[in-house]
Amino acid sequence: MAEREKDRKTMTLNLTEAEMAALENLSAAKDLSKTAVLRQALRLYQLVDARLSRGETLYFEDKGKKNKSELMVL
Amino acid sequence: MSDRSTVYLKNRARGQLVEAALIDGVTLQEITCVESSWRPISEHNSKGAEHSHWDWREKHEAVAGLIAYRMFGIECDSEMQGLMLVSTAGHACLIPTRRGRELVYIDFVASAPWNSIATASNPRYSLVGRVFVATAIRLSQEEGFRGRIGLHSLPQAESLYAANCGMTDLGIDRKKENLRYFEMTPEQAEVYLR
Repeated sequence: MAEREKDRKTMTLNLTEAEMAALENLSAAKDLSKTAVLRQALRLYQLVDARLSRGETLYFEDKGKKNKSELMVL
Repeated sequence: MSDRSTVYLKNRARGQLVEAALIDGVTLQEITCVESSWRPISEHNSKGAEHSHWDWREKHEAVAGLIAYRMFGIECDSEMQGLMLVSTAGHACLIPTRRGRELVYIDFVASAPWNSIATASNPRYSLVGRVFVATAIRLSQEEGFRGRIGLHSLPQAESLYAANCGMTDLGIDRKKENLRYFEMTPEQAEVYLR
């Protein structure tokens, strides 16, 4: 695992004020660094994209109302 | 990409710790070796371990290229002594005080059939599960999850996670094949790694 740490690349990210605010809010709510939030986002995006590419569908379910809504991902 | 680091297993016959390699990023070639060495023993035992039917090739192929997953192996004596698949995204704590916080989820973990008390009359190595749990905790710490991990346990392993690992038992999960769900908090993780 230590080797992977050494292999990390650095990049500069330009965000709008609203995007930075969203990132900071998620960082505080999830008790994660901003870098960790973005890495989580990338992992989830890649995972969702891979499954949608296989023809699967992503749903949110509201147990109280017993309904499901499909999440459209770009 | 595959990294190796040194860990220790216990040779049960000699009662001694022996050096082993923790592999981060198990290759398909290594899975092929696992199939040829594990499967004949698992198939030969009618009263095998509960995980003996798991298809590690299928699991490896299902997560290939996905950065949310990591597959680890422990190699000792030129043979794979255990395998573990974890996910680092999409799982959150259920413990009420930590609800919604990210954790490393252990999707699958298995010891080689010759190390299993359920399968082998004279199991060769112990500490495989313990090393894997420690690996998941360290990964969780690296990811900024403070050591939080979670898993659904097969019935044969429940006592390992409850008593030996000191994880919190959150009861039977009806949505996950009625398996018992366990979580480890940052405090429990620190105690475990001591």
